[in-house]
Amino acid sequence: MDFNSIEDIDNVRLTWNVFPTTKIDATRLSVPIASLYTPLRQREDLPILHEDPVVCRQCQGILNPYCHLDLTINIWNCPFCNTVNKLPVPDIIPLQCQQEFTTMEYVTSRRNATPPVFLYVIDLCLDDENLSNLIESILTSIDLLPEHVLIGLITFGKNVNVYELGNQDVSINSLTFNGNKPYTLEQIESILGLLPNSLVVKSSQPAQQKSAILNYRGSRFVQPVSLCQYQLRMILEQILKDSFPIKRHERPMRATGSAVNIALNLLKSCFDQTGSHMLLFSGGPCTYGPGMIVDVPFKEPLRSHKDIQGDTAKHYKKAAAFYDNLSTLAAVNGHTVDIFVGSYDQVGLYEMSPLCEKTNGAVVLSDSFTTVIFKQSLNKFFSKDNFGFLEMGLNATLDLKVSKNLKINGMIGHGVSLHSNKEKSSISDTEIGLGGTTAWKLCNVTPHSSYGIYFEIANNTSSVGLDNNTAFIQYILYYQHPSGEMRLKVTTIARNMLAPGSDSDIGEYFDQEAAAVLIAREAINKSLKNVETNDLLLWLDKILIDLCIKFGEYTKNIAESFKLSIKFSLFPQFIYHLRRSQFLQMFNNSPDETLFYRHVFLSEDTTNSLIMIQPTLMAYDIEAEEPEPVLLDSLSLKPDRILLLDTFFHILIYHGETIATWKSLGYQDKEDYQYFKDFLNLPRQDAGELLYDRFPLPRFVDCNEGGSQARFLYSKLNPSNNYKSLADSFTTAVTGTFGTIVGGANSNASGAVILTDDVSLQTFMEHVQRAVVKSTN
Amino acid sequence: QALPSGGQPQQFIPAQPPYGAGQYGTDDASVLAQGMNSLNLNGAQNSGVGAMGNAVPAYGQQTHPSYVQQPQVPYQNVPIQPAYGGGAYGQQQVPQQSFGASNLVSPNGTPALPLNQLYQTDLLRDLPPPIQELVLPPPPIVIPPGTTVNPNSEANAPYEYLRSTLNVIPNNGSLLKKSKLPFALVLRPYNALRDEDEKVAVSDDCIISRCRRCRAYINKFIQFTENGRRWRCNFCNLQNDVPSAFDYDQTTKVEKNRMERPELNHSVVEFIAPPAYLVRTPQPLIYVFVLDVSIKSMQNGLLGTVTRTILETLDRIPNKDGRTKVAFMGVDSSLYFFNIPADETDKDASMLVISDLEDVFIPSPDNLLVDLKLCHNNIEKLLNNFANFFINTTSEGFALGPALKASRHLIQSIGGKVIVFSSSLPSEGVGKLSIRDEESFFGKPKEASALLTPNDSFYKSFAIDCNKSQVTIDMFLAASTYQDVATLSNLPRYTAGQTHFYPAWTATKLEDVTKLSKEISNHLSMDIELEAVLRVRGSSGLRMSSFYGNFFNRSSDLCSFPTFPRDQSYVIEVAIDENMIRPVACIQAAVLHTTAFGERRIRVITVALPVSKELKDIYASADQLAIANYFTHRAIEKTFSSSLNDARDFLTKSMVEILATFKKELVGGNIGSSSPLQLCTNLRMLPLLLHALTKHIALRTGRVPSDHRANALNLLGSIPLPQLVQYIYPTVYSLHDMADECGLPEVAEVDEEQQQQEEEQPLAISTGEIVLPEPINAASEWLAKYGLYLINNSSELFLWVGGDAVPQLVNDLFGLNDVSEIPIGKRELPVLESEFNMRVRNIVNKIREGKDTIVFKNLYVIRGQSSHESSSYQNDPSFRELLALRIWALNDLVEDRVQSTSSFKEFLGQLREKISN
Ligand SMILES: [Zn+2]
Ligand SMILES: [Zn+2]
Repeated sequence: MDFNSIEDIDNVRLTWNVFPTTKIDATRLSVPIASLYTPLRQREDLPILHEDPVVCRQCQGILNPYCHLDLTINIWNCPFCNTVNKLPVPDIIPLQCQQEFTTMEYVTSRRNATPPVFLYVIDLCLDDENLSNLIESILTSIDLLPEHVLIGLITFGKNVNVYELGNQDVSINSLTFNGNKPYTLEQIESILGLLPNSLVVKSSQPAQQKSAILNYRGSRFVQPVSLCQYQLRMILEQILKDSFPIKRHERPMRATGSAVNIALNLLKSCFDQTGSHMLLFSGGPCTYGPGMIVDVPFKEPLRSHKDIQGDTAKHYKKAAAFYDNLSTLAAVNGHTVDIFVGSYDQVGLYEMSPLCEKTNGAVVLSDSFTTVIFKQSLNKFFSKDNFGFLEMGLNATLDLKVSKNLKINGMIGHGVSLHSNKEKSSISDTEIGLGGTTAWKLCNVTPHSSYGIYFEIANNTSSVGLDNNTAFIQYILYYQHPSGEMRLKVTTIARNMLAPGSDSDIGEYFDQEAAAVLIAREAINKSLKNVETNDLLLWLDKILIDLCIKFGEYTKNIAESFKLSIKFSLFPQFIYHLRRSQFLQMFNNSPDETLFYRHVFLSEDTTNSLIMIQPTLMAYDIEAEEPEPVLLDSLSLKPDRILLLDTFFHILIYHGETIATWKSLGYQDKEDYQYFKDFLNLPRQDAGELLYDRFPLPRFVDCNEGGSQARFLYSKLNPSNNYKSLADSFTTAVTGTFGTIVGGANSNASGAVILTDDVSLQTFMEHVQRAVVKSTN
Repeated sequence: QALPSGGQPQQFIPAQPPYGAGQYGTDDASVLAQGMNSLNLNGAQNSGVGAMGNAVPAYGQQTHPSYVQQPQVPYQNVPIQPAYGGGAYGQQQVPQQSFGASNLVSPNGTPALPLNQLYQTDLLRDLPPPIQELVLPPPPIVIPPGTTVNPNSEANAPYEYLRSTLNVIPNNGSLLKKSKLPFALVLRPYNALRDEDEKVAVSDDCIISRCRRCRAYINKFIQFTENGRRWRCNFCNLQNDVPSAFDYDQTTKVEKNRMERPELNHSVVEFIAPPAYLVRTPQPLIYVFVLDVSIKSMQNGLLGTVTRTILETLDRIPNKDGRTKVAFMGVDSSLYFFNIPADETDKDASMLVISDLEDVFIPSPDNLLVDLKLCHNNIEKLLNNFANFFINTTSEGFALGPALKASRHLIQSIGGKVIVFSSSLPSEGVGKLSIRDEESFFGKPKEASALLTPNDSFYKSFAIDCNKSQVTIDMFLAASTYQDVATLSNLPRYTAGQTHFYPAWTATKLEDVTKLSKEISNHLSMDIELEAVLRVRGSSGLRMSSFYGNFFNRSSDLCSFPTFPRDQSYVIEVAIDENMIRPVACIQAAVLHTTAFGERRIRVITVALPVSKELKDIYASADQLAIANYFTHRAIEKTFSSSLNDARDFLTKSMVEILATFKKELVGGNIGSSSPLQLCTNLRMLPLLLHALTKHIALRTGRVPSDHRANALNLLGSIPLPQLVQYIYPTVYSLHDMADECGLPEVAEVDEEQQQQEEEQPLAISTGEIVLPEPINAASEWLAKYGLYLINNSSELFLWVGGDAVPQLVNDLFGLNDVSEIPIGKRELPVLESEFNMRVRNIVNKIREGKDTIVFKNLYVIRGQSSHESSSYQNDPSFRELLALRIWALNDLVEDRVQSTSSFKEFLGQLREKISN
C-alpha cells in the first residue's frame, strides 16, 4: 500500500489503514487509529466544483463517492447516518460520486465581501538598526501583498498607537492608548470611535474620500493596500523607536500585551468572522501593563523552565491567563496571530503561545530583525500561488463526519474545539487533544498545516452487522479563500474493518511514519499538559515495546532472536530520536525555544515532522559521484567527507578535518582545483533546495570538524562510538522495570568521539529487545 | 530744610503721570501751584463743556453753527469748584512744610514732619463730581530729610509700582480701625508688556546684602552705622555687616563707591541673583497651546483664527536665547497631540490621538514639546494645516479637564504657560461641566453662590496643583453659548494667568477677528517672568494679612506665580499689630523670578511712609483710587462668600462708615447740619467710584448673564488700577465740540530763548502724541441729541452719535447723508478725507494704545434717539439691536439712574440721610 500516493489524493495519512472491529482489538495495537490531515496540501489536479455541495439533510455529511446511489428512485444513502436523501438532479450520477473524486473542492456561492486583513503590530522598543531593518522588511512585505487586501498598523512601546490610514492629505495620525491599561472591548470601541451610536464619530478624512468601497466598519484604521500604500510607507519611514527614557539597568517599557489586546479587539469589532492576520513583531519581553512577562529592572531575570514548573515565575500565571483569553477571542472570531521575534533573549513566547496555537499563527524566532531568517521568513509568509493569491486559507473550520463504527477522540494541532450538541454519537468520552467535538476552528490553514485526528472504534462487542464492514471518514474544511470565495474542501475516505479476530495481517497496513508523527504529537500534547518528561518517556517506551511485542518476531527470553518486519523497522529509531529531541527534552532550551519547536512541529505535515524527529544526514565523499544519505550516527563522521544535516530548524554543513584543512589552504581558489570548488559548493546548492519550501527559514550553520559550531551536529548523532562505555553505566542505572532509559551520566567516556549523556540507539534497542522477549504474553 | 529732591528726572520710570510728572514731590511751591492751577483750569473748562461754549472752540461753536441745533446750558449755574489741586495743596501758596503741624515728633527729637494738609469738600455741592481727579496721582508721600541713605537718590518708589491706600500710616492698629479706612497696598511690579518699554535699575554684580534677621534687601532707606561698616535695617533695626565688595572689587582690585550702587539710589531695583538663588537650572519658556477642535470651534472659526494668529506671532514670542519651547494640543472628545520633528530631520509632524480620558497619559516622551527655533518650519507647516485636520469633525465634546491634565503632565517638570482657546463648555472627562440654571437664580439672593462660584471642585484644586508645578493657565473663551466663565476662571486665578472672554465671537465679523488676533498676539509677545514668588515685608509692627489677585498664596506671606504676567496688579492688606514708634515705616516688595532668558533676578520695590497718630493726617494722605481698588476686591470676596446684594451693601456701608467717621472725628460741629456730607477733598471721588461699582456689570442688580458677570468680576479683581478706575467709571469724551488741538498730534510749546540757544538743534515741534479731549461726566444729561460722544470703559469703546446729529457731522465722520444711514454695531470707522474723520480715528487709535495691556477695544457705533424716532420701528430686528446697544452703552453712564438703581446725586442724598441718622 503506497501511503504517499494516497496522501497525494486525499491529504490524509493514517496510522493504520485497516481498522480492527472492536475497541479492545484497537487498544491492543498499541498505536492508536489516527490520521494526519493536511487539508491544503498542494495538488495540481485538484478537482474544483463551482457549486454548493449536496448535503445530507440529517447529518450535513456531503455527497461523495462512497454514497450508495439508487438512480431508479433518485436517492442517495448517507454513509455516516444512513439517511436517505434525494439526488439533486434526477437520473444523473453526480460528479462528486465518481470514484476519483474522493477529494473535491467546492467554490460555494457565498463570498466574503471583505478581503483578508493584515494588521501589523510593531514593537518600537528596538535599537535603531533593528528597527530600520524591521521597517524595511515590512515595507517589502507590503509590496508583496495583493493590492486588494486590507492592512492596518499598530505600534507600541510604552503606549500603543493605532494609525489612521487612507487620508492622503493629512500627515500622520494615530490614536494612542495607555500601554498600562487592560482596555475592554467597549472601551476600545469607544476610543476608536466604533460604537454604533457614538458621538465620537470623528475622522479627519475628508468626506469626499469616503467612497463606497471604503465604507466599512474600521475603514478608518484598515485600508486596502492599493489605497494606503503610499501613506503607510510615509508613516513607516517616519517611525522612530520608542523614546520613553530607559533607565540604567532596566529594560524598556514595552506594552506588548496591551498592543495585542487592542489589535485583537479592533479586529473583533470590525472584522468578525473575516479572515484576518495580526502580525506581531516583537523585539523583547512585555514589561509593562497587561501580559507583563518580566519586570523592568534587569535584576529580575526572565523565567526559566524551572521557574515555570516550580511555580516560582512571578508573572507567569497572570500573563498566561491574559494571553490565553485573548487567543480564544481571536480564534472564535477567525483571526490569526503570527509572531515574529527578533531578539536574542526571550520575548515571552511561552506565555503568548496560545495566541498562535489556537489560531495556527506562524512563529518565527530570530535573533534580530536584521537576520536573513527573519527577512526571508516574512517574505515566505506572504508567498503566492500561480494565480497571485496568497497561499493560505482563512477563517477555516474543520468538520468531521464518521460512520457509526468510529468515534472521535479529538484533534492535536492548532485550533480550538467548536462545541455543539449535535453528533454526540460520534464523540468519544476519551479526549485526546482538543476533544469533545467533531468540529474545530482552525483559522489560518497553509499548504503545510496538518492536523492529527484520533479515533476509536465504536463497537465494544464483536457482534457486527453488515454495515460495519467499512468505516467512513469525511473531512470537511470550510474556509475563506484569499479571493474572497468561501470554499469547501471535502475528503472522504473509507477503510475496511477487519473481520473479528482476523487481525493477523494488520501490520501490512501500518504507516510507521504517520504513526511516529501522530505518537509524537500525542507526546508533545501530553507535555504541554505538564506531564513530567520521565513519565512521557515511560509512556513512549511502553507504546514501542507493546508494538514490538505484538508485531515483532522473537523467541521468548532470547533478545538476539528479535526481528521486526520492514513495515515496523524504522519506528523504534523514530521513537529513539523523539525521546532525545528538543520537543521532549527541555534541557538547554529556554521556554521560548521549547515552545517554538513544539509549535512548528504541531503545524507541519508528515514529511517535515519526520525530519524534525529524525534529522536527515547526507554525506558528500570526494570520491563519490553522488551524495548519499547516511546514518544519523557518529560513525558517519569522516575526515574526508562533507555532511549536510537537516533538522528542519537547522541546516548544517560540516567539513571533515581533511576537507576543512584543504579549504583553509585555499585549494578551491586554485586553478587546477575547480573540482574541489564544485565539491564544496554541492552541499550548499542542496541546502539551498532544502530551504526553498521551508517556513520558517532554518538557521544555517557552516562548520568544520572540531569547530565550536560542530557540537550542534554531534548532539544530533547517535553516539555509537561511546556505546560500550555507556552500556556499563547504563545497566547499573536500569532498575527493575524497563523504561527509565534516561541517559546516565558518564564520566568514563574519555576518548569517545562524542561526549554525550545520551544512550546510543544500539543500547536503546538492546533494552527494547530485552524487554520484549521478557514479556509475558 | 528743603524736602528731598523728589523732582529729579525720573530716568528709570517709564509711565509719566498723566498730569505733570513729579509735581507733587517738588519743593518749588510756585511750580506746584502753577501746575495745579492750570490743571484746575482745564478741569473746570471741561466739566462745563456743553455750557461754556465760549471757552473752547468746538463743533458746538459758531464757526460750525450747523452742528449745534439746540444749544443747551444745563450747567450754567454751577460755580466753578476749586478742584483737587486748587482747593487743596495748590491753594496754599506756601510750601507745605511751613504749616508744620506737629503731628509727630520722632524719638530723637527731630522737628515735626509737615504732612499733607486736610481739606474738606461738601460732596453735595460738589456736583457734577470733578472726574478729572480720577487720573491724578496719589497724595504725596512726605518723609523727613535724611530718611534716605543717599541724598542724591530719587524719592520713593513711583506709585505705579507700589501705592498705599494710606500715604500716612496710623501709628497703631486701633487708630487704623477707628479711621475706617483700609490699609492696603496696590502692587504692580511690572508696568509694561515688554522689557524695552520699561527701564529699571539693575544691580548686576551679584552682591546682594540682606538683613540677617528679617531678610529684607538693602535699600536706600537703611542707615550706615559704625563708620559705614554696618547698616541698620529699616525694617527690623538690626545692624548688618556691609559687604566689603560694596567698596572694593576683589577681582578688578578697584575701589568702588557704594553710594553709586543702584539699590541705594533707586526704590525700584532689580538684583541679578547669585547661583545660590537658583533652585534649578533656569528653565526655558514654555507655551502649551490647548485648542478646542470641536465642531463649535470649527463653526465659529475660532480654531482657524487662533492658529493663524499663533503662526503670525511665532517670531514675536519671547525667545531671545532660542530656548523657548512650544506644544500644541487639540481637544474635542479626544486629545490630539502633535509630534513635531526638528526641521533638519526632514520628517513631518504627526498627530497622536488619545481618547482614553479616564487616565490621561502622554503619548510620546519627546517631540511633543519642541524647540520653537529648531522646529520653526514644521511648526509653521503644522499651523498652516491645523484647522484642516478637523474640518470634517462632528465631535461636540470638549474634554478640557483631561487636556489640562495632559498638558500639566507634559510640562510639569519644567513649568510654563498653558494657553487654552475654547468655544465650548467642558463636556467630557474630569471637570465636565453642565449648564447652570440661570433663569432660576437671576436676581435671587443665591445668584452668586449658584452661578458665580465654581461648579466643580476640580478646577481650583487642579489649578493649585499647577501652581505647585510652575504651570500657568490662560483662558481665551470665545463661545456663542454658556461657557461657565465662573468656573473656568479659577484656572488662571490660582496660577497667575488670565481669563479673556469673547462672548458670541465669530470669525465672520472682521472686528471680532481683529480683536482676538491682536490680543492673542499681544499676550504671546508679552515678556514674562518664570517661577516667581512675591514676598512683601513691612517694618516691625506691620503684617501682610490678606492677598488679592491672580496667584496662589503658598504660605502666610509668600505668593506664588508660575509665570508673572505684565498686565495685572495685586492688592495686599496690611495689619498693624504693634505701635509704630518710628516716624517712618517701610514696605518692601520683592519678586524673585527667572527671566525668560535664564537669569534669576529679584525685583525689589521699597517705599517709606510717614507714621502719624493723628486721624486727620491719615485722612489727608489717603489715596482714594487705591482705596477703591481695595474695596473692589472686598466686594468680589463678599460676592463669592455671600451674595451680590451683600457686596453692594458692603460698599455703601463702607462709604457711610468713612463719611460718619470723618464727620464725627474731623469735621466737628462747626459745619453742622447745613452741609452734612463732608469729606476730605482727596477722597471726594471715592463715593462716586464705590457707587459706580455697585452699578458695574459685575455687581449690579438685574439680569446679567452669569458668564458676563463672572468675566467682569475677574477683570475687577486683576486689572491694573488705571484701567480699573476706567472700568468702574468709564471715560466719556464729547467729540462734536472738542478743542481744535484734540485728535491731532501734540505740539510742544517751544521756549523762544531755548530755541535761540539751541539753534543747531532741530526744532522739537511735536511729541507725536495725539491730544485727547477732556472727559465729561458719565451721565446722560451731558449727552446732547445732536452730539457725538466716545465712551471708553476699558473693555469697549462706544461711539454715540446723537439721533439729531447734523448732516455735516454725519457726512464728515461717516461720509453719509443722514444719521439714520449710519451702520450700527461693532465696526470700524470708515477712512475718509475729512479732517474730523481723521481726528476721531486718531482719538480712537490713541485710546486703543497701551503698553501695559493686551486688550484691543472694539468700537461699537450707536445712534442715539432722534426727535422723530417712531415707535413703529420697534418690531424691526435691526431696531431691536439698536435698542440693545443703546441700553448697553447707557449702562456706562454710571452717574445716571439706571433701572432700579439710584443716580449718583440720589446716592449722595441717601448717604446724607444715613450719616445724619
Ligand atoms: Zn447523513
Ligand atoms: Zn531687618
